[in-house]
Amino acid sequence: MSDRNKGLSKAREIYLNCPQRARELKAAGKKIIGYPCVYVPLEMLTALDIVPYRTCGNMKEPVTEADRALPHSFCPIMRSCLDCALKGKNDFLDGMVTIHSSDPQEKTARVWESYTNYPYFHFIDMPITVRPEALEYFKSQLNDFRKTLEAFTGKKLSKDKLEAAIKSHNQQRTLVRELYELTKSSPPRISGTEIVQVVKALTSLPVVEGNDLLTETISEVKNRTAGPEKKSARLLIWSSTLDDTDVMQVFEAKANVVMNESCGGIRAYRAGVKFTADPLEGLADYYLNEITCARTFRQATLGETRKDYARDLQSRFGYLKGIIKEWKINGAIMLLVRYCDPFAFEMPSLKDYFNSLGIPSTYIEYDYTTGALAPLRTRVEAFLETIS
Amino acid sequence: MVVEKATKTINRLESMHPLRAKVNETYLKSVEAIQAGKPAVWGMLNFYYGDPILKAMDIEVVYPENYGAIAAATGAAQQYLDRADAEGFPTHLCGYSLTTLGYASRMMKELKGQIPPEAPIGGMPKPLFLMSSAAICDARYKWFQALGRYMDVPVWPLEAPIPGIKEFFIEGYYDRMVKLGVKHLRDFVAFVEGMVGKKMDWDKLDKTADLMIEVNRVWHEVNELRKARPCPMHSRDFWSAMPAALFLAGDLEDSLRLYQDMYKEVKDRVNSHVGAIPDEKYRLVFAELPPWHSLAFFDKLAERGWNFVIESVGYHPPIPMDLSKVSDPLERITKFSLQFLVGYYEDARKQNVLGGTTAYPYLKYAREWKCDGALLHPLISCRSASTHLPYVSDMLMEKLKVPSLSIEGDIVDLRLFNPEDALAKAEPFEETMEHYRKMRKQAGFNW
Repeated sequence: MSDRNKGLSKAREIYLNCPQRARELKAAGKKIIGYPCVYVPLEMLTALDIVPYRTCGNMKEPVTEADRALPHSFCPIMRSCLDCALKGKNDFLDGMVTIHSSDPQEKTARVWESYTNYPYFHFIDMPITVRPEALEYFKSQLNDFRKTLEAFTGKKLSKDKLEAAIKSHNQQRTLVRELYELTKSSPPRISGTEIVQVVKALTSLPVVEGNDLLTETISEVKNRTAGPEKKSARLLIWSSTLDDTDVMQVFEAKANVVMNESCGGIRAYRAGVKFTADPLEGLADYYLNEITCARTFRQATLGETRKDYARDLQSRFGYLKGIIKEWKINGAIMLLVRYCDPFAFEMPSLKDYFNSLGIPSTYIEYDYTTGALAPLRTRVEAFLETIS
Repeated sequence: MVVEKATKTINRLESMHPLRAKVNETYLKSVEAIQAGKPAVWGMLNFYYGDPILKAMDIEVVYPENYGAIAAATGAAQQYLDRADAEGFPTHLCGYSLTTLGYASRMMKELKGQIPPEAPIGGMPKPLFLMSSAAICDARYKWFQALGRYMDVPVWPLEAPIPGIKEFFIEGYYDRMVKLGVKHLRDFVAFVEGMVGKKMDWDKLDKTADLMIEVNRVWHEVNELRKARPCPMHSRDFWSAMPAALFLAGDLEDSLRLYQDMYKEVKDRVNSHVGAIPDEKYRLVFAELPPWHSLAFFDKLAERGWNFVIESVGYHPPIPMDLSKVSDPLERITKFSLQFLVGYYEDARKQNVLGGTTAYPYLKYAREWKCDGALLHPLISCRSASTHLPYVSDMLMEKLKVPSLSIEGDIVDLRLFNPEDALAKAEPFEETMEHYRKMRKQAGFNW
């Protein structure tokens, strides 16, 4: 029987009550700053002894308060995030840092700042391309972020501390990748549902505690005898966010989800921050270049004057080829959260890419409510039948 | 359902017609350009950033956003929407984008690059390249990327920084935005040169930039005249005239002359107290783009005395600024473009209105154009243009006691707009506007 205070059980407990640890840390005198998107460079918070806390939505909570601030036809995850904030669910936060990672993130940031009254609120602008001038601008944005954090905490963000924080967060990325190594076997040794719990727990813990949790979890999973059952399909889910176990269980009822390519899965952990003379340069490069979210405009060659669709697809989705091969994936689901434009525009092209690799795929949309689970289940079952 | 053609109550400006004709002409010119072996480009509204560069290079530009509105207004859009749907694009994407994607699919897959014969006003020819923009919404760079499925033409995505209101005042912020803009445009010039095989004429660019700034200054002055009571120019004229300044559609010298003519006509109306509708009872701000497919709706409201005196900031020219001492045309263009985004930030910060570029100006408009109400038109398929509207409604009421009426619809998909239902809400909203007139007076406001 597993220890409730360790590994998977602990991750499950934290997943079910994310704010608990943050409240404890707050009571112990720590500063807690919320962030709604994985593009926020958490290393800068950690380096100043601030606990980063991801302000997620909650699909089981009907949106009521956010109705006065955001329209219905708008990213349901951001509506839910804001709704939780307006209902005081994150009342332990000392501040928020938001980022222009997508239009809904940017627009919600304005509304969030207007309707709340945190001691600290900062918005980081983010370019859409990975061009050199965009990278330089983004680095300057991180420098502004540094200045406001220093003013807020009254502490200097030293190079040594930032490098130490980068090292800790890189270690976390390595450990998450190690965790995903455990889904390569058939059956996988850890389920997609369990990984969702672990990853969500990580986003509400200080990085060191998160790394301990990962180390315990990896050890537990490697040593346990009872893992997930082998199912007929090994699925890749490609989505903006899949961070709810109820959604994941819809897929895992009849398949093994061996890769969750979303910001509730591996997306923010696939690479590491490079150590550069100016640490902000490494951070800017990592967050702008390395996170493979549809929000970033990528092309085969920067400033290309000729275009070739196959090369274009490779530049946008090429990272999936290795995943499909190594994880022996035999079906892909493009899970769209309604009104998520950066991902929605990708659907036909990504399907073309999966087709080029001979991987059956389907596009399914849902609206981040529990009411969407039943139709989602029907769609998933239909897809699984076609590939079985 | 489209509103039946009604009596035209709105007193349209004579000077609008030649201006609009010049805009429509750009489509035919782009087709002619292609036929003559000259380059034509599809451009996204980019708030003055890339357009002067293309103009100075003699490249004909068509704007799929504007074309989407035309396709909607002429009833041609639906077949392209259906086609985009069949291609696998989610139906809740921007209606303009779906129109273009369906159009491109039809042109490239069925007609081997020929313009669809049913396409309104000459259609859009296959472009040499695509110029997209990061300004305002995600759709406007993702959509051109998605066109790669149909056309092997390169895309240049124009960066568009957008700061938070407080953050903008961090030391050096503006200069860094300018630096990004100038470097980015310099690379864009090199890209365009590579595409068309000729060098930029920098003197011509210099003149083009100046003309763009002057066109927009005059257009700004036209809109300032609308503060008069009765308001001499209705939103219908604004929307018809705006592409020449906003997209720089048409020849800039022609546009300057035509906007000057418009200024004279509007000024004459102000002097003679001629309104855009026969009996102005209510002055309203219209928030966001109109239902292009149901514009007769505004005549029905005009019959009730509703005059639309100002519109969303996103389609208005920047507040004029003196850029005459900026010698580098790329820097002048960058600063002019940034003025669109941040021109209201100083005011917004003073009033602690943090809602961003698109939200604060409504307060200024309602106060200075003395609006009795706001008609909000949240667009189902254009979320970026609609996100701030609940906040705007809240802010107008809280700070100025100006009520809002929200009527959902869409820029393209006419099925999403119900004009009868909207008109049924007009009478009760008039009572609301009357009520808040009294409330404003009690609160010491002067309208």
